[in-house]
Amino acid sequence: MAGVGFRRLAQALRSRRSCGVSLSLSGCRAGSSMGKDTLPGPYVKTPEERAAAAAKYNMTIHDYKPYDDNGDGTGDYPHLPDRSQHERDPWYTWDHPDLRRNWGEPMHWNFDMYIRTRVDTSPTVLPWRKMNKQLWGFLGFMLVLFILGENFKSYTPVLPKQYPYNGLYIEKGGDPEKQPEEEKHYEI
Amino acid sequence: MADWKKASLSTQPITLDPNEYFNTSPEFRRQQKDRLAMQANLKRQYQLQLNNPHRTQLIEDPALNRWVYARNHTLEHFRPTLRTSLLGILYGVVPLCAIFYALKRDRWLRSGSQHW
Repeated sequence: MAGVGFRRLAQALRSRRSCGVSLSLSGCRAGSSMGKDTLPGPYVKTPEERAAAAAKYNMTIHDYKPYDDNGDGTGDYPHLPDRSQHERDPWYTWDHPDLRRNWGEPMHWNFDMYIRTRVDTSPTVLPWRKMNKQLWGFLGFMLVLFILGENFKSYTPVLPKQYPYNGLYIEKGGDPEKQPEEEKHYEI
Repeated sequence: MADWKKASLSTQPITLDPNEYFNTSPEFRRQQKDRLAMQANLKRQYQLQLNNPHRTQLIEDPALNRWVYARNHTLEHFRPTLRTSLLGILYGVVPLCAIFYALKRDRWLRSGSQHW
């Protein structure tokens, strides 16, 4: 009874492995099912390499297009269309409905930017130029008015504030012995 | 949306794409067929794993692993070019110097020195 339990425990410990994601991050390959030829590699140059890379990423050969080789470090990762998940069909039965993505589908390099809580590239309701004109037109108009208002101020005339006790003569550091001159604030 | 015009940040609605209606070339259709076949195969693999009553663990997604690996191993394929060097300076050196100067200037002003 105890022997059976011990064997089952040993079996469970042996077969359990951590999720593949953490394994590729740490570099430990012992239990991972991904080998060197299934992981991204350097930039592809020959057509055979392209075909192999397209098959690796589960893409058709005419869809596969790597990022330009300008030293950014993308390697042979495909440059998928820069469309956000907002644009995908909401009624199709995706494997992961919140991400609108199927299992095994190649992920965009900026996938975490294109999820539904972030950047949205879907077509706008109004034409872009009209929106631009409205926004900058309004802001420019308000800016001009504020600048004019700042430079050409207009308000009812006011005098400087009048304080009691001879204009706070003592509080402002005047000599208590001396008698200050009387200030007249009115004319009759 | 009949007066929709192409713009850099707003994509074309799929209903206004002429390819959707007029592209009947066999090449285009063959490409669509290949794409759909591949997607159907992946769907099948996922469904087999999902509905397998003997499965006890998470379904590992190789596409996710490749994405994470690619994003974390950019240094292997990095090459210092003019563009990458300028970007490095723009993102690394300029903010550092700007913040350093801003804080120092604030201190000089507070202490009353004429250095700034």
